[in-house]
Amino acid sequence: MKCEDVRPKLTAYLDGELEGDRGSAVRGHLRSCEACRTASNDEAALRDGLRALPTLDAPSGMWAKIQTQLAVAEIADSEKPSWRRALARWNPQHWVTPRLALASGAVAVIFCVWAWRYSQRERELAPQTAFHLPQLPAVVTPPAPAPVTSADDVASELAAMPKTTSDSYAAAVAELEQLATGERAAWSDSQQKQFDAKIAELKHDIATADEGRPRHRAYRTLIRYLERATSRDEVAFADTRATP
Amino acid sequence: MTETALDVATPVLAEPRTRVSATLSDDAQLIAACRRGEARAMEMLYHQFKRRVFGMAHRIVGPNDAEEVAQEVFVRVFRGLAAFRGDSALSTWIYRLTVNASLSHLARRGRRQEVGDETLADVPAAPEVSRDPGLAARIERALAELPPGYRAILVLHDVEGLSHEECAAILECRVGTCKSQLHKARARMRELLGPIGGTPQ
Repeated sequence: MKCEDVRPKLTAYLDGELEGDRGSAVRGHLRSCEACRTASNDEAALRDGLRALPTLDAPSGMWAKIQTQLAVAEIADSEKPSWRRALARWNPQHWVTPRLALASGAVAVIFCVWAWRYSQRERELAPQTAFHLPQLPAVVTPPAPAPVTSADDVASELAAMPKTTSDSYAAAVAELEQLATGERAAWSDSQQKQFDAKIAELKHDIATADEGRPRHRAYRTLIRYLERATSRDEVAFADTRATP
Repeated sequence: MTETALDVATPVLAEPRTRVSATLSDDAQLIAACRRGEARAMEMLYHQFKRRVFGMAHRIVGPNDAEEVAQEVFVRVFRGLAAFRGDSALSTWIYRLTVNASLSHLARRGRRQEVGDETLADVPAAPEVSRDPGLAARIERALAELPPGYRAILVLHDVEGLSHEECAAILECRVGTCKSQLHKARARMRELLGPIGGTPQ
């Protein structure tokens, strides 16, 4: 063991904190090294000298002075409004204990995780909805209500309303006509002729009807006829029932 | 303020509680009685800790301000007992207040401790210290020249004889830090004192 190894350990050695071979190694070095022995003896003398310093007694009048200061402080307390006394009593350490802080942190983390997963789920659902929408029949797609921002916008919306409804009816007619074309092969020639004639007549009614409710009514008549025809409702071909 | 204080403190006040017959043997009972404002319990607590509190303050801030600091500590103790949660021993808490009040006082005062020979002459040297009768006075003088942090650890561990664990609790540091600070403080003291011819080990 060298001097530079022993010197940092002298305090611990003299305080009896080095046991077994660690203590004996320091002791062995001190036996052979005069410089370290002197340093050790000096530190031991210092330690003993500090420990033997006289106990200092407090001045005799100190207790009376302390009592006076406490009395003054109590009087000052009594003159404070109650809310200030309550504020002075309140110690945040009593409330913000480590356990409470930990619980609050855990709640915050759980909320953040939940919010993140919720936003992820919303993002996943959004493209699916967009993908399915075109597959829905055009007739059931309601006209998207535009956000109302001002009185002018409302007026223009109302003006555009009949046209939008007519477009919806036209889409429904187109779809039903497509269905009817599929069914058509099963019909007799006379039924086909009657159907064509009826459709032409109803379409003429639509074209000649006034914009607005009369035209909507004409559309609905055509749609009802098309529905009956595609479901082979006998009413649609009432005039040709006798024909096989 | 002092005159007003003396005027208001002079009247003898009635005890708020009469349950003074309980033995104030342990800290919990003593604290409870002090919280109730029982004069006897407060005086007991004062007498139990006055020497160490005054001694620590005396050796950290010097003799001139020691009484002022010790008074401040006891006022804080009695005023703060209601908030004392008992996380540490009562003595640890009081010594922590003492060290903190002393170091704060030194910081406020903002000057290095310079203790003259006149004031040190008031400190009686213990007769049984060592073969060197002037050693106690030399040690006191060297102690006063140390940085306040070193002074605090030397006073707590070597003068007051507290364990490393107690010192660490008072200074709110780790035991290892406490030991290394003590080693440095003693080394600095030996530099200041020079050879003191201790008895061989």
